[in-house]
Amino acid sequence: MKKFTVVLMAVLMVLLCLAAHGEESDLAYVQGKGKLIVGITDFAPMDYKNEAGEWIGFDADLAKAFAAKLGVEVEFVEIDWDNKILELNGKSIDCVWNGMTLTSEVLSAMECSKAYANNAQVVVVPSAKAAEFDSVESMAALSFAVEAGSAGAAEVAALGYAMTEVSSQAAALMEVSAGTSDAAVIDALMAAAMVGEGTGYETLTYTYALNSEEYGVGFRKGSDLAEALNNYMAEAYADGSMMTIAETYGVQAAIIAQ
Amino acid sequence: MAAILEVEHIRKSFGNTEILKDISFSMDKGSTLSIIGSSGSGKTTLLRCLNFLETPDEGIIRVHGELIFNAQDHASRSEAEIRKRRLHFGLVFQSFNLFPQYTALQNVMLAEELLARERADYKERRKELHAEIENHAKALLAQMGLSDREGNYPHQLSGGQCQRVAIARALALNPDILCFDEPTSALDPELTGEVLKVIRELAMRNTTMIIVTHEMAFARDVADTVIFMDDGRICEQGNPAEVFNNPKELRTQQFLARYREG
Amino acid sequence: MDLIRQQMAIVIPALNAGFLQTMRLFFVTLLGAIPLGLLIAMGSMSKIKPLQMLVKIVVWIVRGSPLMIQLLIIYYFPGLVWKTPIWGGGEGGRFLAASVAFIFNYACYFSEIYRGGIQSIPVGQEEAGLVLGMTKRQIFFKVKLLQMIKAIVPPMSNEIITLVKDTSLSRIIALQEIIWAGQAFMKGSQGISGAIWPLFFTAVYYLACNGILTVLLGRLEKKLSYFK
Repeated sequence: MKKFTVVLMAVLMVLLCLAAHGEESDLAYVQGKGKLIVGITDFAPMDYKNEAGEWIGFDADLAKAFAAKLGVEVEFVEIDWDNKILELNGKSIDCVWNGMTLTSEVLSAMECSKAYANNAQVVVVPSAKAAEFDSVESMAALSFAVEAGSAGAAEVAALGYAMTEVSSQAAALMEVSAGTSDAAVIDALMAAAMVGEGTGYETLTYTYALNSEEYGVGFRKGSDLAEALNNYMAEAYADGSMMTIAETYGVQAAIIAQ
Repeated sequence: MAAILEVEHIRKSFGNTEILKDISFSMDKGSTLSIIGSSGSGKTTLLRCLNFLETPDEGIIRVHGELIFNAQDHASRSEAEIRKRRLHFGLVFQSFNLFPQYTALQNVMLAEELLARERADYKERRKELHAEIENHAKALLAQMGLSDREGNYPHQLSGGQCQRVAIARALALNPDILCFDEPTSALDPELTGEVLKVIRELAMRNTTMIIVTHEMAFARDVADTVIFMDDGRICEQGNPAEVFNNPKELRTQQFLARYREG
Repeated sequence: MDLIRQQMAIVIPALNAGFLQTMRLFFVTLLGAIPLGLLIAMGSMSKIKPLQMLVKIVVWIVRGSPLMIQLLIIYYFPGLVWKTPIWGGGEGGRFLAASVAFIFNYACYFSEIYRGGIQSIPVGQEEAGLVLGMTKRQIFFKVKLLQMIKAIVPPMSNEIITLVKDTSLSRIIALQEIIWAGQAFMKGSQGISGAIWPLFFTAVYYLACNGILTVLLGRLEKKLSYFK
C-alpha cells in the first residue's frame, strides 16, 4: 500500500510538475530564504546525532560547510526515505544528502552532484560459513534477503538468485541472523557499522562485494545548486578540507577525487 | 358565556392532498369539546394547527375575541410572536413526549422556569420565582396523584403515570385551552382509566378542553359538545346525547355503528 | 536480554518523545474536530439546498478517501503545484499540516455521528418543547443536547480510540510520532540498528493510552445512563 501510494503521488507529482512553469534559480531561492534544508535519515557515518543531539557525520559536516559557503543557514530534516523525491519537489527540503547511491532512478528524478564517495553492495553471511562463499557462482544456491527497492535488491535480481525483499537493510540482517535467509546484501558502509565484533550481529560477517557504486547529493531537477556544490567540492578537495572531514569519520578511503 | 375560541374557515393541504376542508367552530369558556372521527379525518391536524405546529393555508383563529391567527398575514409573523400565541393553547400528545433526562417534577417546571427568565424582575426575584414555580409544579403533580413520583424519571414510570405528568406539564403554563391528541391510545387498557379520571376532574373544574379521542363512552360522558369529523370536514356537531343517540348524518351513523359492534 | 536492557537507556527516551508527539496530535485533533464536526453536521442538515449538497459531497470525499493520501496532499501540494511550500520543512510545519489534515478528516467523521445523534431524537421532543413556548435555541440546549450526547458517546468512543492509533499515519510526512521513533531503531538511529523490540514496545504505550480512554469513556457512558 505504501509503495503504491508513493507511486501514485509520484505520478501526480510528475503531471503537476509538467503543468508547472518557470525555472527560477534554485540557488537564488535558497539564498533568498537564507536557509538550506537538507533531507536526511539517521545513517552513520554519514548523518547521525552526537550526544548533544546535533547532527554530525561526513555528509552533515560537508553540508554545513557548503551552506556556510553559500551564506545561508543549514537545517537538517529527517524524512521518510521512500518519499525523498516528493519532499524535494514539494520544496519541504532543498537537497537529499544522505549517502544516497546514484542509481538510474535517482539520476533521472533529481539533479545530482558529481559522485563524492564510493560504496559497494556486499554479501553478509554467518561468519562460520564465510570461507565457502568467495565467488559469485558459489552463492548461486543461497536465498538472499535484501531491502526492497535498494541497490542491493537490484544486484541480486540481476544475478537471478532467490531473494526475499524486506523493509530495511536492518531487517535483511535480521533474516540472516534468524536463519530465515542464508545471506543478505547491503551497503558496505552500513555493513561496516552493523556487522561483526562489537555490534548487534557478532556472528555475521561480510565478504564479497557484488558491485561498486557511488554516492552523490540530489537536488531538484534542473537546479543550479548541483553545479554550485560541484564547484564547492572541487575547491574543498583541492584545499584538503574535504579529506579532513573524511578522516574525522574514518571514511577517507571511500572518497573520490574531485 | 363568551366564546373563548373561534375558528373560521380553516383549510390545510399537505402537497396535493387537502386534509382540512373548511373547518369552522367555536367553543365557550369552561366547556369540553370532544372530536371523534376515523383516522385520516383530519382531527390531529386540526389540533396541531391550533397549537401552531402546522400552519393553515386559509382561515382565522380567535381567542377571547382577539385575532391570534390569520392565514393571510401569518407569513410576516416573527418566531417570537408565534411563540406568544402558542401559549394560549396546551397540547398533550398521544405518546406523552416527556423529556427523558428530567424527573417528573423537572419536566413540569422546565417551561415555566424558562419563561420566567424573560421577566423584567427575574434577576431580583430569582429565588422567589423559582420557589413559586416549584410549589406550583408540586401542586399540579399532587392534583394528578403523583406526589410520590416527583423524583422519578420517565423511564421509571408507567404509561399512565407518564401521561399524567404530561398533563401536569401542559397545565403548568395556564393555557386558555388545553388540547388532548388521543391521550389514551398509546396506553395499555388497564392504564387508560387513571388518565381518563384526571381529565374528568379537569372537566369538573371547568377547564376549557378539546379532546380528540377514540374512547366513545368517555367522549360522550365528559364532553359538552361533540364534533364528528369526516374527510376533513365537520360532518356533525352537537351535544353528546344528540350526536351519539340520534346521529343525523349517514356517515356519523356508519361510524358509530362500527364502534358499537367493536 | 542484556542487549535490550542496554538499549533501553536510548530507546525509551526516544519512544517517550515520539509518544509526546502522538499525544499532541491526538489532543489538537480532538480540540479542533469536535466543534468543527458540529458545524459540518449543521451544514449537512441545512435547509439551504446548495449548501447541504456541497457539504455532503465534501464529507463523502473526505470520508471516502484514505487519510494517508489526504496527509500527502495537504503537506506536499502547496510546494509541488504552487511552488510555495507553505508548511516549511521543519517539524513545526509538518505538525501543523498533519493537524489540519487530521482535524478536517475527523470532523467529517464526527459530523456524521452528530447528525445520526440529532436525527435519532424523536420529533415529538421538539414539538413538546414548542407547544410549551420554548424557543428553538432553548429546545436545543435544554432538551436535545443531552439526548444527543448520550446517543453519540458509544460511536465517538470508537472514533477516539481509533484516532490514537491513526496518528501514526503522520509518519508518511515524516512527523516523528511514536511509530517513527520505534522504527528508527530498526533502520538505524543513535548507534542502534536492527532492533525490532522498540517497535513492538510501542504497543505498550498505545495499550496504556487506550486503556485509560476506555475507562474514562465508560464512566461517561455510565453517568449518562440515569435516563433512557
